[in-house]
Amino acid sequence: MATNDVEREEEEDESVNQLLRDRFRLCTISIAEAEAMKNGMEVSQPILSCISDLACKYAQQLAKDLELFSQHGTRKSASTKDVILSAASLRSSCYDLKQKTPQSEKKRRKIT
Amino acid sequence: MEEHTFDPDLVREIFGLVWRRTAAERDKNENSQNVDAEVGASTSKKKFNGANPHALKLSCELLRIFVTEAIQRASAIAEIEGSPKIEATHLERILPQLLLDF
Repeated sequence: MATNDVEREEEEDESVNQLLRDRFRLCTISIAEAEAMKNGMEVSQPILSCISDLACKYAQQLAKDLELFSQHGTRKSASTKDVILSAASLRSSCYDLKQKTPQSEKKRRKIT
Repeated sequence: MEEHTFDPDLVREIFGLVWRRTAAERDKNENSQNVDAEVGASTSKKKFNGANPHALKLSCELLRIFVTEAIQRASAIAEIEGSPKIEATHLERILPQLLLDF
């Protein structure tokens, strides 16, 4: 009976996972098509699926990195610092991301 | 101008799924280690609470940059070849460098 419960839980997890992936795919497609339209280009369907799968894998890796960075900094939740560390390999994006960090978080850090 | 981006709630749910899985694996490993050691030692339980709203927004932006960067690089290749549509061959050529950059 226990194995049946475990199997049922796994099936539910898998269906939730599939639903999230489908929603993610829709977001990726809208972003990709809008970006391609800026250059007056079209994107073929297989490319959209490929990019959405890659972005989903990147999101999952980002989640793991955020957890590791915040635990290394003895924090119980991930902050913008951890996101910027995860994107450390992107030099120019790092600068853009820092610009997008809201002022309220920067001020809180200065006070403490 | 409407900017297309990822929904922070969706990204939070995806992150949450990953964190739950890693927590479950960590618990399983700790339980098996406790059985082996036959000691009821309390392991340090550091529960991870997720990401704050600003970190989620920034993560959405990072993911958006990933997608737009892929499209921009592939469309540059397609433009050079004079093709009006981004195809698999264009993506193939930019994929190695894109994955190294991210």
